[in-house]
Amino acid sequence: MDNTALAEATIKTCLKKGADAAEVYLETSRNLSFEVRKGEVETVEEAAGVGAGIRVFVKGRMAFSSSNDLGEKALNDAVGRAIAFARITTSDPANVLPDDKGVTEVAGLYDPEIAGIPLDRKIELAKAAEKLAMKDPRITKSDGARYQEAEGEITIANSNGLSKSYRAGGCGFSVSVVAEKGDQKSSGGESCSRRFFADLKTAEEVAAKAARDAYEALDPRPVKTQQAPVIFSTDVARALLGGILGAVDGERVLQGASFLAKRMGEQIGSELITLVDDGTRPKGLGSEPFDGEGVPTEKRTIVEKGILRGFLYNTIVAARAGVKSTGNASRGGFTSLPGIGPHNFTMAAGAAKLEDIIRATPSGLLLKEVTGYGINPVNGNFSGGASGFWIENGRIAFPVKGLTIAGTADAMLNGIDMVADDLDPDRAMAAPSFRIRLLQIGGE
Amino acid sequence: MSAIRYAVEDIPRRRFLELGLKGGLALAAAPSLLSCAKKGRAPAKPELALEDLDKVIARALVQGGEFAEVYVEHRISRSILLEEGKFKSAVFGISQGAGVRVISGDKTGYAYSDEISMDKLLRAAEVASTVARGAAAGKPVPIKEEKRPSFITVAVPLQTVADEKRLEIMQRAHDAALAYDPRIKMASIDYYDEVRGRTIANSEGLCLRDELPLLFFVIQTLGVGNGTSHMGRERLSRHSGLEMFDELKPEDAARAAARESIVMLEAKDAPAGKMDVVMQNGWGGVLVHEAVGHPLEGDNIARETGVFVGKLGQLVASEKFTMVDDGTLPCFRGTTNFDDEGTEMKRNVLIQDGVLVKFMTDILSAKQIKMERTGNGRRESFRNIPIVRMTNTFIDKGTDKPADILASTKSGLYVQALSGGSVNPTDGVFNFTCREAYLIEDGKKTAPVKGATLIGNCLDVIRGIDAVGDDLDFGPGICGKGQSAEVSAGQPTVRIRGINVGGSRARTR
Repeated sequence: MDNTALAEATIKTCLKKGADAAEVYLETSRNLSFEVRKGEVETVEEAAGVGAGIRVFVKGRMAFSSSNDLGEKALNDAVGRAIAFARITTSDPANVLPDDKGVTEVAGLYDPEIAGIPLDRKIELAKAAEKLAMKDPRITKSDGARYQEAEGEITIANSNGLSKSYRAGGCGFSVSVVAEKGDQKSSGGESCSRRFFADLKTAEEVAAKAARDAYEALDPRPVKTQQAPVIFSTDVARALLGGILGAVDGERVLQGASFLAKRMGEQIGSELITLVDDGTRPKGLGSEPFDGEGVPTEKRTIVEKGILRGFLYNTIVAARAGVKSTGNASRGGFTSLPGIGPHNFTMAAGAAKLEDIIRATPSGLLLKEVTGYGINPVNGNFSGGASGFWIENGRIAFPVKGLTIAGTADAMLNGIDMVADDLDPDRAMAAPSFRIRLLQIGGE
Repeated sequence: MSAIRYAVEDIPRRRFLELGLKGGLALAAAPSLLSCAKKGRAPAKPELALEDLDKVIARALVQGGEFAEVYVEHRISRSILLEEGKFKSAVFGISQGAGVRVISGDKTGYAYSDEISMDKLLRAAEVASTVARGAAAGKPVPIKEEKRPSFITVAVPLQTVADEKRLEIMQRAHDAALAYDPRIKMASIDYYDEVRGRTIANSEGLCLRDELPLLFFVIQTLGVGNGTSHMGRERLSRHSGLEMFDELKPEDAARAAARESIVMLEAKDAPAGKMDVVMQNGWGGVLVHEAVGHPLEGDNIARETGVFVGKLGQLVASEKFTMVDDGTLPCFRGTTNFDDEGTEMKRNVLIQDGVLVKFMTDILSAKQIKMERTGNGRRESFRNIPIVRMTNTFIDKGTDKPADILASTKSGLYVQALSGGSVNPTDGVFNFTCREAYLIEDGKKTAPVKGATLIGNCLDVIRGIDAVGDDLDFGPGICGKGQSAEVSAGQPTVRIRGINVGGSRARTR
């Protein structure tokens, strides 16, 4: 039995055993990963897996069970467990399943070549990345180079007659190295992930970035606690985007647990900010033809020139809010219920060159790394650890480390006054470099 | 930058994937395909005969290699969410699987299967063994089943508990949170329990089986008022039966979360810059878990990348500072009877009176750095290779009185609760986010301040600890290092001189 037939048969079992509605999410996958260190393969991991997530509704009550055994007996057992569990949850008229039979055409999600590329070629790629990253004499230790690939098929069917599947895959490699000088240690790493093996960056490019990040951070100097302009490089997009994503999550909005809950249609930040969530981008790492419960994906503007235009919804949260699902049901695999999450979530590129933004900054911070949780989606407060470079007289002067930056989402979003043209659209969550006029920096 | 970074997650389990600010290898192929190594699963217990396990181990060493191991796991989990007054969902997970590992020199091969059959296990053994091709082959010792002391006691087994009992506990927490204050607008109660069965057999002749219960109860409360909002949190967790809730009352935990939500509505902007920090006893020990514990893990010592490389036997911290990792504390969240490689759990003193005395190891790193096996080889599930992980990690108690520590601190920050944080184990730079913190003015705790970041270098921090209280306490958490692991962290009240605090307000004095 193929996966679609198996999913449909399992739905029939659910209905026969007393469910009023049911959904089956099937996943088959194959993974390969290995790590190379000091020119030798150190770890190889290989596996194939299957799993089913079964969601049932009994008189408006929802429950879920999962099994990684797709045998008839195990699936029957899982169905029984889910239906029994639906006894204890609360009935809700919003507990519904989608019925949109449409599928968005998204090109380039599956590279049929990856599996057939000889292991040796993949090992050579990782070995080359490590060797090239170690080339600079300032780099003294390798923390290894890794390669990983995964591919599989996702099938979703429900009792509204929805039945869809797609194949997807991807591969990536990364390298981490350490630069040392006296007692100082500084680490740097870089990775590249793509849908297609042929689209991966070269080992040279990835290695050079990892090495540069490590040695350029040597000899940091202290700076005083002060307010100054802060330039977020493309490496730290997540620090801004993560908190916004949490705040536009439709469930948080309903709960009032979002600093953007009551701001729809309002100017929430600088006109330079446009944020798009796109599930349809060809070859996009966050693209899929339909979301985690089968709703076709779209390209949506979340913030347009600073004005809040959209929240993210899955089917149930949309029903509670009285709107349509936005195709943002996300699955953490077959073992969990659909939540809410983005596809390719990016901030639109601006017109400036990063060099020009630096040149226009008499004194300030160029951020290369931000640690911590980013913007708190509940109240918009922001505080994080920071490292990067100090700018003096419009030029990079020296590296800095162990600083803090803090502010509020409101001040940060409204404070963006320059946006660069260096967006990397191949990342699933990305922003171009941008400058925030003034942020509190904690130092000496 | 995507340097390796270890983190303690502060995000509720179900949102982990969506929101986690995770570092490490950023591979986002098909997000859901790559994340199949999640929590929760396992059905009818597959029992493999000893001679079958022997056969798999022998097959794993056919091509060479000195060590082979079979790990069989089954897991049954229940997760129930009560939020906005509704039992929104109930999730039942069943999973089973087995992994075969081969070690040859510094090389490791690993393969796993969801299906526990001799066919699949022998195939996994073949795949795992390819790394050892051409190496000298060790001769496996026939396995013999052993019994180990148990640090986990169960009075009310989770398997025997009616779901209604689980709901009742959740409802009690929910109602207590909302009754605490009218400004508590929402409570979210996340109940999780699992029973994980393990069989571990290896070429050294070891064969162990056991079953570990786990409870994880997370309460979050939303306070709204004074023009802002704050999500408070409290977590309860033990390897125990349902009797945990007789001792750790759900109502008390709910009120603790609600109290935090309300107090923090009045929070002012935190100051920025270097200051003295007093950390209250309990989960604050997560700071040393991150800042000191991760760099003391034997894998980065073997790679010679960690900040403590070459420092064994040296004075690395204040003489008041003793740090311990102890996997034997009865029923604690980080406790097991033996680690996921079968090594017996023990109390490992890592830093004694400021002197670095031990690194934590798994089988591979113990061999590489020629140290004892400390019982720190853990894995998230059969889908993962065991790696060096902490268990229950804490600063040991001292002799100072907590009230004196505060009173003798002229000004600074009093950290009552931390969220989580992360560390770069290479340079030792860590960061933490405060959940609940107050200004210290003239030796007194005064106004609450917004969630500031604490940042510093691990060596500076442990040298800067100049007061250690006598009030050791613990809290439960989740540690992320590529895989997630249940841990506890603990500490008495301590004072650390001169930490960089990341507030949004410039200090005026």
